[in-house]
Amino acid sequence: MVGGRILLKLAPNAVLELSKNRQVVLVSGTNGKSTTTALITQALNSKSSVVSNSTGANLFAGLASALSQDLSAPVAVLEVDEMVLPWAIAQTKPQLIVLLNLGRDQLDRLSEVRVVAQKWQGVLKTLPASCAVLADADDPFVAWASLASVNVIWFTSGVHGHMDASTCPECGEILQWQNQGATYSCTCGFKKPNPEWILRGNTLLGPQNQEIEITSAIPGKAGLSNAARAVVVSQYFGVDAEDALRVISKIASVDGRFGTLIVKQTRFRLMLSKNPASWRETLATSAQGPKDVLLVLNANVQDGKDTSWLWDVDFAPLKNRTVLVSGDRRLDISARLTVAGIEHGIVSDEKSAAEIFGNVEADLIASYTAFHRLAKGVKKS
Amino acid sequence: MTLALVHLLPELLGTYGDKGNVEIASWRLNKRGIAHEVLTVGIGEAIPTRADLYFLGGGEDDAQIKAREILGTSLSKAIKNGAHIFAVCAGFQLLGATFPASGGRTVEGLGIAPIETLSAPKRSVGEIFSKPSIPIAMLTGFENHAGQTRFLEDQQPLGNVISGVGNGLGTNIDGLITNQIVATYMHGPAFARNPELADWILSRVVGELAPLESEVFIKLHDERVNAVK
Repeated sequence: MVGGRILLKLAPNAVLELSKNRQVVLVSGTNGKSTTTALITQALNSKSSVVSNSTGANLFAGLASALSQDLSAPVAVLEVDEMVLPWAIAQTKPQLIVLLNLGRDQLDRLSEVRVVAQKWQGVLKTLPASCAVLADADDPFVAWASLASVNVIWFTSGVHGHMDASTCPECGEILQWQNQGATYSCTCGFKKPNPEWILRGNTLLGPQNQEIEITSAIPGKAGLSNAARAVVVSQYFGVDAEDALRVISKIASVDGRFGTLIVKQTRFRLMLSKNPASWRETLATSAQGPKDVLLVLNANVQDGKDTSWLWDVDFAPLKNRTVLVSGDRRLDISARLTVAGIEHGIVSDEKSAAEIFGNVEADLIASYTAFHRLAKGVKKS
Repeated sequence: MTLALVHLLPELLGTYGDKGNVEIASWRLNKRGIAHEVLTVGIGEAIPTRADLYFLGGGEDDAQIKAREILGTSLSKAIKNGAHIFAVCAGFQLLGATFPASGGRTVEGLGIAPIETLSAPKRSVGEIFSKPSIPIAMLTGFENHAGQTRFLEDQQPLGNVISGVGNGLGTNIDGLITNQIVATYMHGPAFARNPELADWILSRVVGELAPLESEVFIKLHDERVNAVK
């Protein structure tokens, strides 16, 4: 992203200037940023040209670079790192902000979840009414931060519970979870907001009695709820749900996610997992997939240098599968699987794994930097 | 009586994979055929005061304060009953006289270890490597905390810090060892990276332990130690 870096050096206000006279949508959260951004971009693209950073470059330079791609495009859809969101809001003056979720992730870099939520709240309370926030009501941190803004569209996909939300983001008391974790409330008055858009199964129910069947070619529950969000955003910008879905339902792979990587004779389905919440989602999706699975763990800056969170992941879905591990931190994951009673082998890389797996379909679940290295080899569909 | 391990308030004190220490302790006991039970005590559940080994993990500010309220006098009773405690990070701070909270507040701790924790000017984040004060292999972990912990009387640290911060305040030490408490700023979790520390603590509770083939943990330990050298 050298282009963006140079641009910001020469013109520190570049993002501000390049956002003028444009409709800007920002997408942030711990998991699902790239996928949701790509889905929204494609859906809005059916109406007008859109610039976006759908390769995951979501820091300062990445935003500058994306905005400078096509100066004539009237719409920009940008995924934004959680910590960069306050800056991005000040610079781009967005029309809509999509907030997905907040969970523990790269604690060494991003700090604890409440710290991120507080930063969000601080900037969301300064938003004008002309800026809407499409906020996830299931996530207490997103809900709490978003309540500070005046114009919120609440969304639910029926996610139950939250591993980091034992205490109330507002007052620090114990947060009470009801209905098997479907709702939450606190004695201070903070509670789950009433959602206007409800994803129930595959059906998206809207505030004007809309009933929209969501179809997604991206596997898993998260893929479906991100597709539903993209439909809500499309409606916000006056794009018909049908037109939006025609595009969205065909997107099977975003920036290598769920793409096919062929190594020797093995056809790997590439999946990204980078924190406990995304591992849980990915392992659930992978459990429906092939028997063979390779896990690749690194701990570079972008992965988070601390691997402790591995112990927060329930690896039980890997039982009775053929499991191999590799990556710079394969011993960390091997120790974790050993204690969890998951039989596995340690290999040096995906080529060694492919020699063992042979001529089969296999899943390959990789942490951030490993994923991005491997995604370069994914065949563009 | 069956040996009882107690995992305290994982919803509040479990930000850094801390339940790993409990799982590893249990696994190491199982491998040696030592019967035991693991009691996980959640919010609102009774805290046993006659168990053998208690685990306290790391947590965020609000959660740490709630944990303090909930624990009440249960751990000081457990200590009087002869229990052992392994505490990490926020759990370590909780054991002392006071610990800091957001907005410059000071919160009264459990008062079962002669320490106090102050807020540090800068968060300590990164690999930590120390030379233990007990006869086990070098210690390795990852720290992430905004506290600095002072001994209120002459105490034995868990380790002398070679790289990283630990207790801070210019002391170059990490953690604390008393007859019944082992505490540290090392997560990772500590028992995953330091199998000898796990066994040293377990042997204080159950007596001498048979050697254990746990190759992956030794390899992980050595890899982490070599990574900071």
